[in-house]
Amino acid sequence: MAIRANPHLIDELEKYGAQDVVKCYHCGNCSATCPFSGDVFVFPRKSMRYLQLGLSSRLQGNLEPWLCYYCGECSEECPRGAEPGETMMSMRRWLTARYDFTGISGLFYRSAKAELLAIVLVALLTGLGLTLFGMAQGDINIYDGPGAFLPAEKIHVFDWVMAGVLVVLLGINCVRMWWYTVGADKEVRIPPGEYIKQLFLVPWHFITQHRYSQCDRKQPWAVHLVLMLSYLTMLILIMFFLHRVQHGPAIDWKAHAFGYLAAAGLVGTTIYALAGRVRKTWTHYQHSHETDWIFLVLLLVVSVTGIIQHVLHRGGWTTAANVVYIAHMMGVVPMLVLEVPFSKWSHMAYRPLAMYFSTMREKALLAEEETEERPQPAAQTA
Amino acid sequence: MAPTASPKKIGIFFSHADTGRLDGLDIPRIMAFARELPDVAAVEELDPEARPDPKILAETIQRLQLTEVVIAGDTPGGHKPVFTRAMVMAGGDPELVRLASFGEVGAATGAAENSALAAVACAVHGVPFGLAVTPARVPVHPDTLVIGAGVAGIETALRIAGAGHKVHLVERAATIGGHMAMFDKTFPTLDCAACILTPKMVAAGQHENIDILNCSEVQDVGGVAGEYKVRVLRRARRVDPEACVACHACRDVCPVRVPSEFDEGIVERKAIYMAFPQAIPNSYVVDGENCLWVKSEGKKCGACVKKCPKDAIHLDEEPHSEELTVGNIVVATGFDTFDAELIERYGYGKLPNVLTALEFERLTNASGPTGGRIVTRTARRKRKTKQEEWVFDTEAPAPRSVAIIHCVGSRDQNHNPYCSRVCCMYSLKFAHLVKEKLPDAACYQFYIDMRAFGKGYEEFFERIKDEGVFVVRGRTARIEAGTDGMVIRGEDVVHDRIREFPVDMVLLAVGLEPARGAQRLAKVLDIHPGCDGWFTELNYNTDPTATNRGGIHVAGVCQGPKDIPDTVAQASAVAARVLGSIISGSVRVGRDSVSPEEAADTAARLASIKTQEEPWPSEPTHT
Repeated sequence: MAIRANPHLIDELEKYGAQDVVKCYHCGNCSATCPFSGDVFVFPRKSMRYLQLGLSSRLQGNLEPWLCYYCGECSEECPRGAEPGETMMSMRRWLTARYDFTGISGLFYRSAKAELLAIVLVALLTGLGLTLFGMAQGDINIYDGPGAFLPAEKIHVFDWVMAGVLVVLLGINCVRMWWYTVGADKEVRIPPGEYIKQLFLVPWHFITQHRYSQCDRKQPWAVHLVLMLSYLTMLILIMFFLHRVQHGPAIDWKAHAFGYLAAAGLVGTTIYALAGRVRKTWTHYQHSHETDWIFLVLLLVVSVTGIIQHVLHRGGWTTAANVVYIAHMMGVVPMLVLEVPFSKWSHMAYRPLAMYFSTMREKALLAEEETEERPQPAAQTA
Repeated sequence: MAPTASPKKIGIFFSHADTGRLDGLDIPRIMAFARELPDVAAVEELDPEARPDPKILAETIQRLQLTEVVIAGDTPGGHKPVFTRAMVMAGGDPELVRLASFGEVGAATGAAENSALAAVACAVHGVPFGLAVTPARVPVHPDTLVIGAGVAGIETALRIAGAGHKVHLVERAATIGGHMAMFDKTFPTLDCAACILTPKMVAAGQHENIDILNCSEVQDVGGVAGEYKVRVLRRARRVDPEACVACHACRDVCPVRVPSEFDEGIVERKAIYMAFPQAIPNSYVVDGENCLWVKSEGKKCGACVKKCPKDAIHLDEEPHSEELTVGNIVVATGFDTFDAELIERYGYGKLPNVLTALEFERLTNASGPTGGRIVTRTARRKRKTKQEEWVFDTEAPAPRSVAIIHCVGSRDQNHNPYCSRVCCMYSLKFAHLVKEKLPDAACYQFYIDMRAFGKGYEEFFERIKDEGVFVVRGRTARIEAGTDGMVIRGEDVVHDRIREFPVDMVLLAVGLEPARGAQRLAKVLDIHPGCDGWFTELNYNTDPTATNRGGIHVAGVCQGPKDIPDTVAQASAVAARVLGSIISGSVRVGRDSVSPEEAADTAARLASIKTQEEPWPSEPTHT
């Protein structure tokens, strides 16, 4: 198959945050440093090579960026300062844009202005919609019960509709990811049985982020896990236990205890990450793309407004609680609508899928090798 | 050119950030100086981030109505084609684009700023730098001082002394010979290094015109060009080299054992010792820092004095200074190797069988501690303290596999950014020696780029491959202790594989660094070390052995990493320069003596000759 070279690939990736890729002289130090580099997936050097050669199609079908968790050791040891870790990060952004069929993702990654504009627009629409909706049927001084400004049951319908739309959008992107990385690859055939056998990997990696925990450095994994689990807890509470957490003013401790833990986790980890990015404490905090800031700030705004709204509601300041609730939704809706299918949030689907696909691919390749017995140059000692 | 043409308007463009090699040059000051030069209409700074665009430059040239352009910077030559195009696009004369190259005139640091200023002035006037900056000639003293007695220093000394002139050869160690004396073989010819060097050492030791000052260091340099007054500190040798017959009686009774520097610490020596049997002067020496008698100020030991049959040992000898008057000074201080412990992941210092290149040179050397047998380091209990120590025992097992890692500390922005030039080749030499002595052992080379650039080097590389050495393109990331020996992990870039396998011995091809004390010596001599610490030559292309000071020359690795043939060639070139000045009886004072204003005046005068269409004066030789 002919391969087309794209001479502007590095320039393109630079918009996604890549830096100094041209400096790489392919010593292979990064690949050998990475604990995840193995027999089948050798990275990040090879991906740097694809970039330098402009092999867009190879890069598009590359799962390796998703196998990297950016511990930063490769960047620290790089003799050329070519920042392989940050390059992998930028390739994940680029791949997210490639998987997205709408093109919105690419627009957001290339232009922070566009993303900010979209966020403001969606936030204003949400605010306006909720206010009009509330005024049409309730009283701003009542938070819940009859005559409520924004009755939880009705908002919940909107929640589910939004969730459905987002799942469909992300689902389409996931199918595209499968096609690019596995489906379109004629060389490696994965037996259909494997798809079922390995399916458990998706929830397993989603919940535990097992692979991240195998990096030499454990702290980033712990922070990431706390953030993810906090968010997941909050999501489950809202989607499935709304009737228990929403009605006040009494506190239903059995449900709320989880909510409080999750809120603390969210606020703590986002502040930790923001402070880390400001002070550049870890290697993976050295370079921050605009989308990293937007993501963290949105998350913090949503968490903090959620907490304030909760306090106001339980404290009996119902009018203020309604106002803050609208502000909270003005953060939540753009965060979910724009980030889940088109930006950073999408990696919650791509990461576990990448583990799933890569495991199957690796097995298929190794099985093939066993039958063919590839020549083994210079590997065995006497 | 018609004299009625519109008046000259020169634009100067600074591209100082183009290589990042400049360190401490005051660019705003140079720009201010440039503004004051005649006919200079504009002084601009090029954006270091953006590539110059001929269209924009042409517009600038037109807007400022420039008739001539000067590009100034470390290596401005790269910008010349763009400016030439811009000049044509602006309707100007493309011939009138000139360069002021700081790199070429050795102005890389703030210390050499005058040369940078003069280079700008010369470019503005369109006069070659060498014509305008011509320091005065002064009479020269016929004696020469050579600092450092490695192969470069010995070669220079022998050439000058052979022509009948006096040479003082100062050496910090107790013997001359330098690093080459430690080597087993030379690449690519596989000649015995000692067989080449020791006759030269003996010749230097016996030469009536060579005065060897061992255990000595240059403390202070005064005087003026042509007649330098040099104060040399002569540390106490404590053994009279004239009386000592190297009978070894003192060594046998000495109770003190310390690691031998000459053997890179892989074996021990006594406190009274001779570095190696062919040492010049061929005499014992006392290590004052470890001798019991010296440390206790005469209260303890002193066994060697009683044993010496020739009464050659004087433990109470004091250091003293000696004053020399010389006309020329040759700096040949060589190098030290990169400290491999700085790269922790290679485990040097923790894993006993990770060796540096020099340690392996001693191990494989037929006159080394194991008689040239390549063996692994094994554990042994110290007899007295019962502590475990790792030693090379001649009876120990040979390694079954040896890995050689290139570029340790070189080509690495975390350590030394430059290429050390010799490591690829000596690594190939090691591979050959391993294969020659242990034909059944597997040998691996982990390299980034194979720099086999010299005569016969590429052929040597091919020969090594034919000998069955595994050549793996890719740098090793780490070495860890394994169940049996060590485990090495690296990427095989060509085969797209991670290689992880056990090895018994790892050799680190450590890079070269300026010798310890080179910075201090640069201060004493008032010559310029570049950003990497290697001494700056006067002109990279046309005067690679002279320095900014008159009569002070650089030879060998201290000017930049190079191998033995290049070192010997440069040493001979320096000898020719020195002899030239002695024969002519005069030497030019340093370039620093020419102020930038003076250079600008000379350049203006020479430029005026040109317009009158008078012939150029012939270029002076630089001695």
